[in-house]
Amino acid sequence: MSQPTRAGVEARSEPLLQVEGLRKRWPDGRLVLDGIDLTVERGDVVVILGPNGSGKSTLLRCLNGLEDYQEGCVRLHGVEVGRGRPARHVPSRGEQAALVALRQRVGMVFQQLHLFPHVDALHNVMLGPLHVLRKPRVEARETALAALRRVGLEEQAGRLPGELSGGQQQRVAIARALAMSPEVLLFDEPTSALDPLLVREVFKVIRALVYEDAITMLLVTHDLDFARDVADRVLVMEGGRVVVAGTVDQVFQSSHPLVQRFLER
Amino acid sequence: MKRRPLGSARALAVRILACVALACAAGPEARAGTASGEGAGLPPVADRIAPAPPGTSLRRIQDEGVLRWGVDPAGGAPFAMPDPADPRRLVGFEIELVARLCEHLGVRSEPVPADWLALIDNLKAGRTDLALNGIEASPERARVVDFTIPYYRYGEQLTVRAADRERYRSLGDLRGRRISVLNGSAAVEVLQRAGFGASEIVQYDDSLAPYVELANGRVDGSVAESIIAGYYAASMPQLYTVPGTFAPGEYAGAVRKSEPQLLAALDAALERMKADGELGRIYQRWGVWSAEQEQLGIARGPAVEELALASPSSASGLAWGPVMRELAVATGATVLLTAIAMPLAVVAGLGLALMDRSARGALSWPARLYIQGVRGTPLLVQIFLIYYTLPVLGKAMGLGEALAWPAFVVGILCLAGNYAAYEAEIHRAGLDAVPKGQREAALALGMTPRQSLRLVELPQSFRIILPPILNDLVAMIKDTSLVYVIGVRELTAVALGLGKARLIVPQMLVVAALFYLAVSVVADSLGHRLEARLRRRGTPRTSLGPSHHHGGALAAP
Repeated sequence: MSQPTRAGVEARSEPLLQVEGLRKRWPDGRLVLDGIDLTVERGDVVVILGPNGSGKSTLLRCLNGLEDYQEGCVRLHGVEVGRGRPARHVPSRGEQAALVALRQRVGMVFQQLHLFPHVDALHNVMLGPLHVLRKPRVEARETALAALRRVGLEEQAGRLPGELSGGQQQRVAIARALAMSPEVLLFDEPTSALDPLLVREVFKVIRALVYEDAITMLLVTHDLDFARDVADRVLVMEGGRVVVAGTVDQVFQSSHPLVQRFLER
Repeated sequence: MKRRPLGSARALAVRILACVALACAAGPEARAGTASGEGAGLPPVADRIAPAPPGTSLRRIQDEGVLRWGVDPAGGAPFAMPDPADPRRLVGFEIELVARLCEHLGVRSEPVPADWLALIDNLKAGRTDLALNGIEASPERARVVDFTIPYYRYGEQLTVRAADRERYRSLGDLRGRRISVLNGSAAVEVLQRAGFGASEIVQYDDSLAPYVELANGRVDGSVAESIIAGYYAASMPQLYTVPGTFAPGEYAGAVRKSEPQLLAALDAALERMKADGELGRIYQRWGVWSAEQEQLGIARGPAVEELALASPSSASGLAWGPVMRELAVATGATVLLTAIAMPLAVVAGLGLALMDRSARGALSWPARLYIQGVRGTPLLVQIFLIYYTLPVLGKAMGLGEALAWPAFVVGILCLAGNYAAYEAEIHRAGLDAVPKGQREAALALGMTPRQSLRLVELPQSFRIILPPILNDLVAMIKDTSLVYVIGVRELTAVALGLGKARLIVPQMLVVAALFYLAVSVVADSLGHRLEARLRRRGTPRTSLGPSHHHGGALAAP
């Protein structure tokens, strides 16, 4: 009787996402990630700060398998879901399948939106549940509409991306990721490509996901106010390494020159 | 009474299918009704021919009850031409001759149309068992095929412009001048022996063109077998055929080497037809009888009246109704060729493009090789090569006649295979034009690379490449005319055949061009409609009712 309970407790006690010694080189030999260690608990909101080229986006892309890496490993609930491979490694069929399975659990929202321009908002959100999760069409549609409702765009479901504002498009992209019910959401500078006037509506949606839905997320941004608002922890990256890490207060009070430079702006 | 609109559509479909069936090497059935009735009363020789040993061609012909034989309808009257009253049928003295021959063998005659130069290739390929179409029995040809006993003795005849009749009285007077002939005919060799150079012997693909060129003044003389001169040149008042024939020769049927049973059966039947006046009667009806035929042992038989068809009639006597109907059916074949070949080309092109883009060299280099090879060689050459080498290849691989596919099928394969190489390049450009982020977004959702291609990349690529694909569709409609060289009865072949029978080739070509134009315009407008529709709307409207411009409740700033 006690055995299964113990196992369950143990599984829950594992951190949701664990990154160990992640190291990646570009094909030309340049080191872009130089030994990243990171632990994310369920419900954590981790904000990653850092100058351009510090490896923030690349780290996110490694986490859901859009980029490969040469050393280290990634675990979800203690189970290894990715590990370093030699450069130019062609993934086997089994590794492909594992990648696909990983991406279903780790959602991503891109800086450049990348909505599918040929289908309307509803179908942008519905394609995942329908074709990846293989839900029946009616159910997939309900899931998609619920996700659009969550970002306040249910009434725009029939519009093509080209007919929506940039902020609305990014909200559809968030709904598209949400509809897959991911365990972790990765946001890669979700407002950098947007008109400053449209940034607020996107932050408002992300904030609601943090405070109302307690969604676990990693968020790359340059917006310190927003970081202060939502972050449980902050990482500051430079040259492919984490140079400062801690709670919001710890990091913002740090004397690290990079943090000081950030705060001056 | 109300007529259901479907009825006429179905009738048209049936006609188009019938045309396809004809084109599929079955050829227009030789219902030489005018001929078959005439020979009544003569007992067939079939009962004298014992069943041939199994495995021989004769046995197969007897078992199937049909003799497939090669003939070029474009070669024209009086040998074989489309019946002006019903252009689906072939008429001519050779059509009647073989029809009677088949009656003697107790089988049905089935002419297989093909370009004249390809008659022997089709014979060797096993698509036919006999080639009989003004083929001169020469020692060179006898090395490749076996000949039946000759059925006609011809002589060459010189034709000049009527205005030149005093100037050019013989071949010798034309030394250094350009002479027109039928491509590959015995006249070529006659002229070579008379000292004419290659640039002075102008060869044309059909019997009429040499005379048209003579009348137009591009050449100064024309040499052809007496039958041809008597039929075509005699009908053109601006031409004059010099009396007297030279360089005599004989026509004979050709069969594959080492078919002694078939050869013997054909010879026996021909012998019978020669002796009892049956053959002489056919020649008289078609106006090709001459005293020289008696040297071959052909009895003239009782005098009979010449057929009206035995001399060319003017366009005024043309039955435009059946001709237009025939052109419409041939247009159906052209549309059908395109409608099958183009989608095949687009799909195969996508396959090639994906192979080409593949990270695996083992897939990409064969695709590259195919695309380069096909785009670097002429379609016409590909059609000829594939049609005539496939059966030979099949035999060499021990497949028998398994690869001797009908002309219509080979035509579609060649068109599709050729265009696939071009569509592959279009697909490649289209897929490259879809932003890389689209694939990443799809993969990030957990789609497999294949799902990303199908659901995200291809739908976008397709919108980009639709205009160039539609452009190629219109190009293909016209390129289908090339398959006439392997005997497919599409628009160009039918128009040429009808035109030659009545000496109205230019008129028929204008009509055919208008048919092509009409089909292209229709295809274009359908394509533009599709483009506009894709531009307007990505997917069918969702049934969410009218949408509003203002943002949702939660996120309104």
